[in-house]
Amino acid sequence: MKYLSEYRDPKVARALVAEIKHTATRRWVLMEVCGGQTHTIVKQGLDELLGEAVEMVHGPGCPVCVTPLEQIDKALALAARPDVIFTSFGDMLRVPGSDCDLLQVRARGGAVRIVYSPLDALELARKHPDKEVVFFAVGFETTAPANAMAVWRAKELGLKNFSVLVSHVTVPPAMTALLESADNRVQGFLAAGHVCTIMGWTEYEPIAAKYKVPIVVTGFEPLDILEGMLLAVRQLEEGRHEVENQYVRSVRRDGNQPAQDLVSRVFELVDRNWRGIGPIPRSGLGVRAEFAEFDAERRFAGVESIRTAEPAICRAGDVLRGVLKPFDCPAFGAACTPEHPLGAPMVSSEGACAAYYNYGRFRSGSAV
Amino acid sequence: MCLGIPGRIVEMHDTQGLPMGVVDFGGVRREVCLAYVKDEIKPGDYAIVHVGFAISKVDETEAKRTFEVLREMSQLDELDWMKDLLP
Repeated sequence: MKYLSEYRDPKVARALVAEIKHTATRRWVLMEVCGGQTHTIVKQGLDELLGEAVEMVHGPGCPVCVTPLEQIDKALALAARPDVIFTSFGDMLRVPGSDCDLLQVRARGGAVRIVYSPLDALELARKHPDKEVVFFAVGFETTAPANAMAVWRAKELGLKNFSVLVSHVTVPPAMTALLESADNRVQGFLAAGHVCTIMGWTEYEPIAAKYKVPIVVTGFEPLDILEGMLLAVRQLEEGRHEVENQYVRSVRRDGNQPAQDLVSRVFELVDRNWRGIGPIPRSGLGVRAEFAEFDAERRFAGVESIRTAEPAICRAGDVLRGVLKPFDCPAFGAACTPEHPLGAPMVSSEGACAAYYNYGRFRSGSAV
Repeated sequence: MCLGIPGRIVEMHDTQGLPMGVVDFGGVRREVCLAYVKDEIKPGDYAIVHVGFAISKVDETEAKRTFEVLREMSQLDELDWMKDLLP
């Protein structure tokens, strides 16, 4: 196919790599926020191509990875109830809770269904009026409009048996928390393209200005990422710290206004725990009081009060903050593998640990 | 998880007040919610779709290129789910 061969023309990639190396007078530390970008970077070995010019730190941008153990345990408790059909995106099913995961609950007879869209969960609720249908509403800003619409429609249609277990997180407070931490090494960010498709990039402008970090809104294909890196390195070399948009084909400065409007009508900013990172003030979305009947935590007695501490053995928090590379964790590849994950970054294919494992990164520069 | 797949809007309709449409993803067709792009798209246009919702309009060249790249990179897991869920 014409466009594919043009895109795959390695000359473009080589030219970008050469330009980044030529531009960098030192090694810069950049963080890619999005887990999809992490997957691409590790799979294509982009970071290793640029070893002298850029160190890539893999950010916390995988919603599966940052969903706290506590929310997983709430999901498990709900899914085990005989009156509940528990619905979720497929990648949440293998995330380990305290005792088991959703797949094991299903094996024991729990009604756990994978859905592609939250509207599919809504449809299940319409088809099964005798059951309570709960949807596990996880994700970043990209997914929030879809999940908000499910709640909005449930109210509009008068559904009495639909609710959402919410574990929504938002990107800018996490970036701020990372930049505020004493051990932060990140000097520039590749912001997540589809998050910005919804939100635009105005929220990032004060962050770039306050912390003097370039932030480049970037797509998730290899050439997008190389171009995003080049724009960030150019800014760093020139002493600039602005928000730039590499992903122009999908992102506008103000984002998708109708989507933002519905999200803010259904959800409100709340404090959230991030797995491995801990609590970040006003970093998540929760269901507004006027939609409380659709909030599974308020709907089912005993769920809201479930409290779980994170296990100490898993170093996922250090990996998610970019302090530790996955292969530096003592459990990586031994006690913790994609088949038997200890922590969430090993569960999701977008998690940094799984990406390193799947593409043979068992030590620095060891891609096979 | 924030992956978006480009598809072509085949038709647009209204389901109990909700703007919906059929979107073709390289031969696989699925119902998609168009509420967030309804003022900027028409049948024949391309949009990026995430968890059953169109989130932005993209041009045809970009959409086809992105789709092929995703297919090459085996990043179309979402499409496999769609196939399973199709009636």
